[in-house]
Amino acid sequence: MGCASSKQFKRGAAAGHEDPAILAKETTFSVSEVEVLYELFKKISHSIFKDGLIHKEEFQLALFRNSNKKNLFADRIFDLFDLKRNGVIDFGEFVRSLDIFHPETPLADKIAFAFRLYDLRGTGFIEREELYEMVVAILNESDLLLSDDAVEQIVDQTFKQADLNSDGKIDPDEWKAFARKNPGLLKNMTLPYLKDITMAFPNFVMNSGVGDEEL
Amino acid sequence: MEDRYKMGMLLGEGSFAKVYLAVDNSTGEEVAIKVMEKEKLIKLGAAQQIKREIAVMQRLRHPNVVRLHEVMANKKRIYVVMEYVPGGPLYWQLRRQSRDNRAGLREADARRFFQQLISALAYCHARGVYHRDIKPENLLIDKNGDLKVADFGLSALADTARKEALFHTVCGTPLYGAPEVFTRRGYDGAKADVWACGVVLFVLTAGRKPFPDDNINNLYSLICRSEYHCPSTFSIELVRLLHRLLHPDPARRISIPQIMEMRWFKKGFKEISYYVDNNDRLHKLDGSDKLELDDSDDMFPPSPSTSEYSISVVRTLRGTGGMHTSASAPALTELNNVSFQPRMRRLKSLNAFDIITSSPSFDLSGLFEERGEKMRFVSDASVSVIISKLEEIAGMVSFMTRTKECQVSIEATKNGQIGALAISAKVFELTPELIMIEVCKKAGDIAEYRQFCDNELKPGLRCLVAEIRENNDAVECSA
Repeated sequence: MGCASSKQFKRGAAAGHEDPAILAKETTFSVSEVEVLYELFKKISHSIFKDGLIHKEEFQLALFRNSNKKNLFADRIFDLFDLKRNGVIDFGEFVRSLDIFHPETPLADKIAFAFRLYDLRGTGFIEREELYEMVVAILNESDLLLSDDAVEQIVDQTFKQADLNSDGKIDPDEWKAFARKNPGLLKNMTLPYLKDITMAFPNFVMNSGVGDEEL
Repeated sequence: MEDRYKMGMLLGEGSFAKVYLAVDNSTGEEVAIKVMEKEKLIKLGAAQQIKREIAVMQRLRHPNVVRLHEVMANKKRIYVVMEYVPGGPLYWQLRRQSRDNRAGLREADARRFFQQLISALAYCHARGVYHRDIKPENLLIDKNGDLKVADFGLSALADTARKEALFHTVCGTPLYGAPEVFTRRGYDGAKADVWACGVVLFVLTAGRKPFPDDNINNLYSLICRSEYHCPSTFSIELVRLLHRLLHPDPARRISIPQIMEMRWFKKGFKEISYYVDNNDRLHKLDGSDKLELDDSDDMFPPSPSTSEYSISVVRTLRGTGGMHTSASAPALTELNNVSFQPRMRRLKSLNAFDIITSSPSFDLSGLFEERGEKMRFVSDASVSVIISKLEEIAGMVSFMTRTKECQVSIEATKNGQIGALAISAKVFELTPELIMIEVCKKAGDIAEYRQFCDNELKPGLRCLVAEIRENNDAVECSA
């Protein structure tokens, strides 16, 4: 920790980026896991622009193997990952955002993240139109063609269950209650894979710049 | 490191690694941690291989293979966290036997260990992983007296360490190396493993080494001519098997599938059926064990408000050809019966967020691996029609199916081996009239999965949905 270690790290693989020891302290990840994420980050952030930052096109390329694929949710997730709102994802943002998806991250954090994700216009509520828009977008993406009536029916039904005070929008507390009652809804907020990354990407083992005392 | 694991005593020491007992602070579980010096690995030229092999090893899930839990590293060292097997290496048992003045294990006991060793190797070889360093030190015995093979996938190290040993004879006896291992640059890992199993089997039954290693030069010539003598206590069948295992020509040496066809091997061999639960733990299914497949890692974990279905990733490990035993059959039959009984629970109905959540475009796992290749279909046929259609499609290509409530698991066997491909198909209610079928790959090769989807599943389901479409224009189908 401290000065000595960040100096060591600058000599190591991730020069110029945040110290893995610090990121590990702030997140659920171990130092080794942060180093694995760095390997992954390096790959994604050099796929098109080679500037060590993840651009939206690179994010789409990594997710869909296609940098031109327009996708509502990839856009939303990118915007939420971009904590500093400067149009790119740096390594610190990458690690802190992926932390939400760690299997051991508290449910409350996942619920809050999902709310921000679905609150498309950032109004502090999930509105009926937003939900309708998302369902239509998803169905179109999967080439599932459902009649407008069927979609209306599904959205109505959902609002009946979630919008407890029937004001036509879902507020954070209603969302919390709804998500706790339907934990399956948070399935995409957890990447079981994050538990096994040290073994899936063992490249870091020879590149590790972490000092002895920090592991 | 310290806040994750509490390091304990030294369990063992090899040429390139030390193994410590440790306790996982978060679970209290005992683990074994292998510590390797990076400098040494680089000197041995094994740095590249170790990375590749860790990646391969983490995918192995077999009751007779030691599990890899996690890998950590700093500048100097690599830490490989593995399952701890409390019974220690197999050779302790041998020593105990020799203390009792018995030469070797009883043939039946040796056979049991040998069967478990071969079934582990069959599984790993089918996945392209070779051990290359089979020896009693790497064969551990768990608390149930079952064998577990350690150090799978660290074979690159084994090779380099062996080369070192050849020149320096510091560590690692070459006793278990096949002739071609010493003489050739590249050799067939499968056949070299078979040879080593032959030596292990000999050691287990005879209580001594087949090739005396007091003189290293003499040892090589004995190995290359495969010159050994069986004790008179060996059964004829055992002698024959050893002869084929220890054939000096790798091309003429017996293969793993052939071993599994030998009468000596088949005696009392039980097919091992097991499944991987949501915590990624292995569960063995013997006749007594009830098959509990409820798997809440799934899309919709049980909740009081909705009814639930479960997903099963059942892998059946069997030998080749006709070696199917019925060890697991009762439990599976029982499952099949449940599926169409009236007590089938209400269909899970999807809300708008379910649809959003389960969308493939929302799945960040694409950042880490090839995408799961999820497919969804909409139909207005009844659940039972859809389920029998799925079973019929799988049946056409002789894939196994298991149906539980609104979930069909489809499994394929590859080369007469293990259930290599596992697919799950789930049925949900979209609206009272519409049903969604969701198909995704649970395990196995992506190309094989696509082939099944394109050639069997899509045409099969399409015809079901097309038929509906004739009667009802509202329903569309897509892949």
